[in-house]
Amino acid sequence: MSADVELQNISINFGDFYAAKNVSVMINKGEFFSFLGPSGCGKTTILRTISGFLEPSQGQVLIGGKNMAGIGPNKRPTSLIFQNLALFPLMSVADNISFSLEVRGHSKANRRARAEELLDLVALEGQGDKKVHELSGGQRQRVAIARALAIEPEVLLLDEPLSALDLKLRQKMRSELRAIQKRVGITFIYITHDQGEALTMSDRVAVMNEGRIEQVDTCQAVYEQPKTPFVASFVGENNPFHGKITACKNNLVEVSCDGNKFVADIGKIDCELSKKLTAGKKIILFVRPESISIKNNKTKTQNSFTAKLDSVEFEGHLQNLFLTTGSGMKVRLSVPNTEEISHLNVGQSMDFTFAAQNAVILPEGNLAVD
Amino acid sequence: MKSHHALKLLLGIYIFVFFAYLFGPLIIMSVTAFNSAEFPAVTPWECFSWRWFTDGKVTYDGQRLAGLMADTKLHDGILTSLQIALGVVLLSVPIGMAAAIVLTQLNSKIRTLFYSVAIMPVLFPGVVIGISTVVLWDRIASMTGGGAMTDIGRNGVFLTILAQTCFISTYCFLIFVARLQRFDKTQEEAALDLGASQTQVFVKILMPYLMPAIASSAVIAFLYSFENYNTTVFSILSDQTLTTVIASKVRLGISPAISALALVIIAITLTAAISYEVLKRREERRLTKIRQMQLHQTMPSDRLKQNQKTSFKLPKSMFLILLSCFGVIAGGNYLATNNLYGEKCILAADEAKKSNFADQLKLLQQNIGNEVTTSPQSGTTTGSQEFNNIFGDPNLFKNFGGFDSKTEK
Amino acid sequence: MQNFLAKNGPIISTYFLIAISFWIIFLIIIPQIYMLDLSFRPNLPPLLRGGEEDVYTLTHYKHFLFGSETSKDAYNFVDLNVFFKTLATAVVITVLSLFFCYPIAFYIAKVAEHKTARFLIVSLIVPFWINELLRAFALRILFAGEGVINNALLNAGLMDNAINFIGQDVALFTGLTYAYLLLMMFPLYNALESLDTNQLEAAKDLGSSTLRTHWRIVIPHAKAGIASGSTMVFMLTAGALATPVVLSSPNTFWFTQLIYQWFNMNDNWSRGAAYSVLLLLVSVIFVLLMMKIFRIKVGEIVK
Repeated sequence: MSADVELQNISINFGDFYAAKNVSVMINKGEFFSFLGPSGCGKTTILRTISGFLEPSQGQVLIGGKNMAGIGPNKRPTSLIFQNLALFPLMSVADNISFSLEVRGHSKANRRARAEELLDLVALEGQGDKKVHELSGGQRQRVAIARALAIEPEVLLLDEPLSALDLKLRQKMRSELRAIQKRVGITFIYITHDQGEALTMSDRVAVMNEGRIEQVDTCQAVYEQPKTPFVASFVGENNPFHGKITACKNNLVEVSCDGNKFVADIGKIDCELSKKLTAGKKIILFVRPESISIKNNKTKTQNSFTAKLDSVEFEGHLQNLFLTTGSGMKVRLSVPNTEEISHLNVGQSMDFTFAAQNAVILPEGNLAVD
Repeated sequence: MKSHHALKLLLGIYIFVFFAYLFGPLIIMSVTAFNSAEFPAVTPWECFSWRWFTDGKVTYDGQRLAGLMADTKLHDGILTSLQIALGVVLLSVPIGMAAAIVLTQLNSKIRTLFYSVAIMPVLFPGVVIGISTVVLWDRIASMTGGGAMTDIGRNGVFLTILAQTCFISTYCFLIFVARLQRFDKTQEEAALDLGASQTQVFVKILMPYLMPAIASSAVIAFLYSFENYNTTVFSILSDQTLTTVIASKVRLGISPAISALALVIIAITLTAAISYEVLKRREERRLTKIRQMQLHQTMPSDRLKQNQKTSFKLPKSMFLILLSCFGVIAGGNYLATNNLYGEKCILAADEAKKSNFADQLKLLQQNIGNEVTTSPQSGTTTGSQEFNNIFGDPNLFKNFGGFDSKTEK
Repeated sequence: MQNFLAKNGPIISTYFLIAISFWIIFLIIIPQIYMLDLSFRPNLPPLLRGGEEDVYTLTHYKHFLFGSETSKDAYNFVDLNVFFKTLATAVVITVLSLFFCYPIAFYIAKVAEHKTARFLIVSLIVPFWINELLRAFALRILFAGEGVINNALLNAGLMDNAINFIGQDVALFTGLTYAYLLLMMFPLYNALESLDTNQLEAAKDLGSSTLRTHWRIVIPHAKAGIASGSTMVFMLTAGALATPVVLSSPNTFWFTQLIYQWFNMNDNWSRGAAYSVLLLLVSVIFVLLMMKIFRIKVGEIVK
């Protein structure tokens, strides 16, 4: 059984400080939904509000259509997995997992059976009698998940559960979590500051900044069609060219950025945004590092600029080139490691190009801070 | 450096003197417990005897000096002390626990105030707490005029339990506060989230965590209650506890029974201390073993396993044990050879005292030249004024013990 | 308040509220208030209490200062003497404890090896687990007219008459210093232990003498421990009853014994209460003074 979760105009403030402002979002049942944003953006506060540890100052939380106002965390159909896992150190693994059944008065036999079931689900068969401190980090993660799923909640909330794990384990757990979610079919609400995590696991993502939701969309849309400069710069790497619109012609927008003339294809962005794009408007033109290429005689694109090569960085499957334009702007360009770049010299001035379709134009706004 | 060595030597001497000062009186007292003389003494050594542990002695002026086994007052006192201690533990531990938990739930402004109030009882003199409890309940008792309340309000055991709870709760409070500081609050939230009611969170999550604190504060409460005097002496009214019985011996008469009692308590304390140390060391060893086992689970190398073999070291305390064994043997030998032990010795000592007394009396007769009845227990209703003076002279009975000669102003 | 109820549930909240209010209101605050109240009332037999004669009066405090109406002296020299002697002696004993304990505490905290230190600590604690009364008796056995010390001196022929240790304050003084030594030792030890040994080595390295190192570095660091230990020792010494009962004589009376006298022997509870209030005032003032001088908070005093 899973439920949808709706946040209607939630605001949470502590005196003058607003942890969340006018947050409204509809999370569908059975969905793997992520809240993504930097530390302090309000995602933990939202999670605690959904789970019932915090009452919103304004707005409602509806789970399965039912208003949760005044209902405590022990009465909501949600289960929360804490960032520090909060496993009970004095109890065995099996007792931890069956705790939610214990407090509801289930028989010992019942509890034992359910614990075995869940241990199988999270691939920890036979570990039931161990104490928590005898398990490794990854194993404890799975116990936390099993414990949360024991009572079959309608919504599972996860508070950055993978942040304490090393890279390999994190990647493994990502796919495991996804698999478990698909198997169990309940709504997962996941919060993280790691966009790699959010993008690989979620059906949809809400990008948050300073208490507000900037964009709610599928992972692909959030990456390729960001709606605000924050989203564009937070999700993945991006190069922001600041400038002004010089002309609008059908789907093509001409802009002038620091002496460069660029053209962007805005055919895919929504009407709301396109209405804002009028001549003279200050904008930022975003180009992803993988969309920039070194100019050679074969390529023929509308956009090109000149920049000096500062350094080259090898990142395994990618090679990152760091450039500085004539006006001092830092640009980043990445090419797959199969491409030959050894002929390039540091300090050399070269031409670079990108396609109009790969340029995203957004009204001037705040970028994500590095 | 010379000055460095001199300093170290000085420090060593100082430490030795310090510990001698701490332990000296206790050791001497323990020794006097075995001397059959009526006033605790090391010299002159009368006889080695266990009498002060058993039935004691009746002196010539009729005073009964009870040994530990025979002292019924002492036994009653111990029973009352136990009752009170039990009551105090049953009250103080829950109070301390409640106060500590609530402390963690307060915001910082009220918190400091609450903490200060909770600490106050320890800063009050014990006598003040005792007195204030008594006067309050006396008032309550007289206000309700007769009936159960009056009886309770004037009951020494009840009042003492209340008075001691007042400040012993603070000690329990401090123990719980310390334990709670390292409590992970997210566990409570997790339990709630999983569906537990607040009561269930308390019983299933918080209490198990607090168990060690409950145990140690119960022990502390018991011990503090048992040995308390300042507060108890006021609140106990007509009853007596172990401590008030001991204190009353100042007036009633000091005999080596006190030394015997002290020795018994010292022995119990030492045993408790040693067994606690031993248990603690064993627990530590067990924990390190678990940790090493965990290491081995993740690192299968055998090199670490080899390091576990510890060499057998002769504990330094061996020397102390050898020394005391030697002392005991030598002492026993001395006692045996000088016939300072056993029935014979005691009878001989008593004879000596009797004849001494007889001599003194003869001296009296000569000096006064009056006809005197030889019974030392006779009253002084007949005879002249001088008669009264003689028997009123404390120095005459100095060697017969029984009560400490009161030094005059 | 609502949050409190919500946080703990109805059953536990009730338990908390009852336990805490019973303790604080009924056991701590009200008795003291009532004792204070009683100290201002005349000493009436039970029947007359609450009646017409039961008015507020300063007669007990006046008695403390000026003595009874029949006395010819200007002030109540006897009681005042006892009072100030108690306080002064307590101060002296506190200072002496500090001096006695400091070297040992420093040695255990900084100089001794770990095993030695642990052994020393345990052996320090053991004597103090013995009841204060029994320890006082141990000293009494030593100091009495026919006690161990006198017997030894007489037998050795060093003296002709017994020394009156008890009548001359010596016994009581020694006993009181003995009684609360541990309470000075442990705060000092804890404070000194937290001092980074590297600081001492750095000082030596820079040429500081031992005395200067202690004065400028160690002692300021141990400030909290010194304050805590001194407060506890002073309060327990000034308010001591067990040791004086065993070791004092009529001319070395302790103030608490005076209270005891009024209470139990003269049956004058209101006067006993008044004297109690005085003792309480002294304690509170001392604590506040220490807190002000050393700039520490209440919480740091108690362990």
